[in-house]
Parts: sequence; C-alpha cells; structure tokens
Amino acid sequence: MVTVPQDLDAVTGLRPGDHLWRSFAGDTDLAAAIVPFLDEGRRRDEQLLLVGCSRPALLAAVSGLPHRDALLAVGRLVLQTTGDACSPDGGPVATDLVQRHRGATQAALDAGRTGLRVAVDVTGLLRRGRSGRRLLHACGQFADETVGAVPVTVLCLYDASVGPEALGPVAVLHPVQHPGDRPPLARLSGRGPVWSLHGEVDLTEAVYVATALVDVAGDAPGEVVVDLSGLAFLDVAGARALHSAAGELAGRGIALRLAGAHRSVRRCLDLFDLDLSGSEQR
Amino acid sequence: MTRMRPTGDWDGTRLAHEGFVFSADVQLVERVVPFVLEGFRREEPVLVVAGERVRRLLAEHLGTDLGRLAVFAAAETWWRGGHGTLQAYDRDLRTLRATTPTWRLAAEPTWLAREDGRVWSRFEAVANRCYDAMPYYSLCLHDARRLPAEVLPAVDRSHPLTWGGAAPAPGPAYEDPAGFLRAVQPAWTARPAHAVVGTVTAPVQGRRAISAAVPSDRRARLGDVVLATHELLANALRVAAFAELATWTDGDTFVVEVSDGGPGLPDETLGYVPPDPERGPRGMWLAWSLADDAAVRSGPAGTAVRLHFGPQP
Repeated sequence: MVTVPQDLDAVTGLRPGDHLWRSFAGDTDLAAAIVPFLDEGRRRDEQLLLVGCSRPALLAAVSGLPHRDALLAVGRLVLQTTGDACSPDGGPVATDLVQRHRGATQAALDAGRTGLRVAVDVTGLLRRGRSGRRLLHACGQFADETVGAVPVTVLCLYDASVGPEALGPVAVLHPVQHPGDRPPLARLSGRGPVWSLHGEVDLTEAVYVATALVDVAGDAPGEVVVDLSGLAFLDVAGARALHSAAGELAGRGIALRLAGAHRSVRRCLDLFDLDLSGSEQR
Repeated sequence: MTRMRPTGDWDGTRLAHEGFVFSADVQLVERVVPFVLEGFRREEPVLVVAGERVRRLLAEHLGTDLGRLAVFAAAETWWRGGHGTLQAYDRDLRTLRATTPTWRLAAEPTWLAREDGRVWSRFEAVANRCYDAMPYYSLCLHDARRLPAEVLPAVDRSHPLTWGGAAPAPGPAYEDPAGFLRAVQPAWTARPAHAVVGTVTAPVQGRRAISAAVPSDRRARLGDVVLATHELLANALRVAAFAELATWTDGDTFVVEVSDGGPGLPDETLGYVPPDPERGPRGMWLAWSLADDAAVRSGPAGTAVRLHFGPQP
C-alpha cells in the first residue's frame, strides 16, 4: 500500500500490485488524476475499470481519455456505478459485486489483456456511512485477493471535502493523506477474524478505530481477535472506544478479544470490562 | 447508665463513616463486639477485615458467633497501593450493593503503618463524598500502639464520625474532603527557574514533548509518565485551546505540571474517586494512580495539576 499526497501531479508510473489513495478537489482535479492513470493502463494493454457514483459523472471524468468511446465500445473500459447498487448493510451486494468483477477480470485475461487497472471514486461510499465503508472494504479485500493471481493496479480517489468524520474510519485502515492533513496515528490491519492495531490510539482517533473495527468484523458470530502487541500507545478514550466496539459486536454475536497488550496499554484497558486473555499481566 | 447504641441513629440508608482509635485491647473489644452483635440482630451482613491481633481478639470474644460473619479476612494482604486497594474495595462494594440492602464493615487499614500507606487517608476522605449513597456503616479501626503518631490526626480529619463513648458522634476535627486533600497534598511551591516550559495544542505533540523531557534515570517509567501526562493534557485540551506543559526535577522527584486557562476542575477529588464501571471519567483516576503523588490548584483563572514521579515505579 502506497500513499500519494495530493500535490503530486500525475499518478503515472504505477505498476501491478500498487494500491494508491489520493484526494482530489472538484471535478477537474478528479479528471486530471483519472485520465493519465487509465491512459497508462491503455498503453500497457490492461483492462480498465472505472467505478463511481453515477454513469454521467464517470463519462465526464474520462472525457479527456484518448479513444474513450472506442475503449467503451469494445469493453476495454468498463464503467461501474456504486450509487444505487447497495443494500443498507452492504454485505450481499459487496459479495455480488466482487463475484462479478472476478468473472470480468478472468474474461479480460482470457481475451489477452495483461492485467486489470481500477480507478474508484470512493467519495459517495465514504459519505454513505457504514454500508458504503463495508462495500469499500469488501472491494479492498477483492483487490488484495486478486493481486496474487492477476496483475491489478488500484487508484482510490476521494473528494477532500468529505471531512474527517467520514474519512477517519477508512483512513485507519488505509493510510491516506492530503495536504493540510496528517497521516493517521493508528493503523488497523488484518483479515477475517484476526486483526492487529499499530501505532497510537488516542482521543483524536479512538472513535475512528472503533468504527473501523465494527465495519470489518463481519457478520458471522464467533470471536474476533485484535493483536495489540504492536500498539505503542493507548489512552482512556481509546480503551473506552474499544469497549464500546466490543459492546456493539456482542450485539451481533461476536466476542472481541484483545491480545498481546503491553503493560501501559493494559493499564487503560483494565479500567473497562474487556476480554484481555492473551495480554500481559500487570 | 446510658444504653450503648453501636451505630447511633444510623438508619442503614447511607454511608456512616467512623474513625475509631484505640490504645488498649479492651477498648477495641467493647467497641467492635457490640457493633457486630447489633448487625447480627438486625440481620445485616457483617464484614470484618483486620490485622492479626484484632482478628484474634474478635475470635476470642465472639466464640461460635464468629461463623456468622459474612467476611472475616486478613488486612495484611490487602495493600496494593492506594489506587489498587481502593479499586478492589470498590468492586466488593458494588457487588454487595447489588445484592444487599444494607451492611456493616469493621475494617483495620493496617497499611497506614507503612510509609507508602499513609496516602490512604486521602482515599478515606474522598470516600465520604463518593460513597455517600452506599448503604453501609464503615467502622475504621486504628490501633494507636501500632500506628505512627503522625497518622492519627489524619484519621480524625478524614472521618466524619468518632466514638462518643455510648454512641457515634460527629468528629470535631473532620474536614471537607477537598479541603483535606488540599492540605495534605505536596506544597504548591513556585516553579523552579530551571523548569522546561512549553505550549501544547494537540495531545500527540504533548506526548512527544514529555517523552523527550523524561530524564535518562527515569526511562523505566517512561510509559507511566507519558500516559499520565497525556490524560492531563487531554483533559485540559477539552476545555482550553492550549495547555502549558512544564517539567523539572526536584531532588529525586521528576515533576510534571499541566495547566490550562479553562474553567477550573469541577472536582478536585477526581484523582481519588474510583471510576464507575459503566460510565464517567477515568483519566484523572488513571493519571493519579500512575504517579507517586499529585497536587491540584484550581480556580477561576484555570487549573494546574502536578504529578510527581520518583525513581522507582
């Protein structure tokens, strides 16, 4: 995962396996990011996929792409909208979306394409709250799974005006940045029932981390483990947020276990009723 | 002859907190045995946590009634530092409250004899406020023959009731908890000239600053110092746009001061109040428990808190 600050002009020179997040300011800026990215893929003979809220907006964004209409006509460029395709919980639709793209990717490779290049305007998903974020995470998971078998290059774009409340729960999973902002202090990573938390969780990001954890923990009842051995700092607000995430997950039949906490992280967790089996004793 | 009333007109609905000081075995027996028997008569759970000598005296005088005590425990193993001891005690109190309408406790805080146990009188003082609604009678036993003489005035100042001979009576030396804390916390001296002072606007900036300020001989406590300071800064930055962070060394002690110009601390006793398991603030409790000592100065012009860290955790 690479992050690109907005003031980097063009997002070219990317290679399969790269997954970038970049902010934009307005439609012109969006087009300025997408066109060189997709055009590079066209020259590399890759299958191109552009995902965003509405088809007219996507068409407008690629109006400057050389051979746009020809690419669309032969299916080399596919436009996919997320705008109206989501159920409130994001779950089944995400699975469906992933399945469809898995099939489409294989078909493109069979037709002689060298790889898949995806540009996603995630602004609408970020603004939609939990269902949007869960769809986003499912797609991220698809990209991660696919990258081993298929050469995939991904560019995620978000409007800088979405604000910290919408961006925070995604930023702790994908370290994004744009001018005037700083990278998140906390980082949540993992897959399925095992996650780990790195960096520092304090009152400024506590709620984002808890929200992200509830987003990614899935729906299947069982245990979700978060490894805290790489967490350098946790404050009372962070422990409180983890406690509230545990409560929310318990409502879905998911038990949250926090493992590997160091002594001073544990001092905060001990103030709350949390499952700490697998963490250091005081 | 006046009839003895071991709990006076206590009606069992709120906390009654008595500091009883004795200097002869017979005084102890004449105070505690009637207290226990009255509890049995009223069918209240009676708990006793005491040192070895007090337990032996009670065992002799209660005979087979000893088995009717709900708890009969040794105080010697209870001390885990002020915050650790109160937190364990707090859990027991909440469990009792969930199951028992009213109860009585005779407790001997033997750790007041320890150098590091004297801080307990601050928790005794704050209990008058934070446990006010707990429906129990706490009879605190102090053996003047075993405790250092300088501890006894703090007993009188931190317990609203004393033994009047036939019934509990208001203690003339009792002080308001916040006033008592102000009087016994480390003296608020002027910051020394060599103090390092900076302005903090974001918690992460404060953490970097305090990490850099911890002296090399105190690095083993770095985690404690950073976490405690962070909680003070987080609290200050909730009410003020910036906070001031000052650090200095005073002899063997590393001192951290966090001050802000926001409205004064609503409750100066917060660092000694065990957090409610369900809700409410915990940061001050945690910061105080990580430090070896703490002092607060709060007023309309703002709040300043000092934490002291000795060489050893």
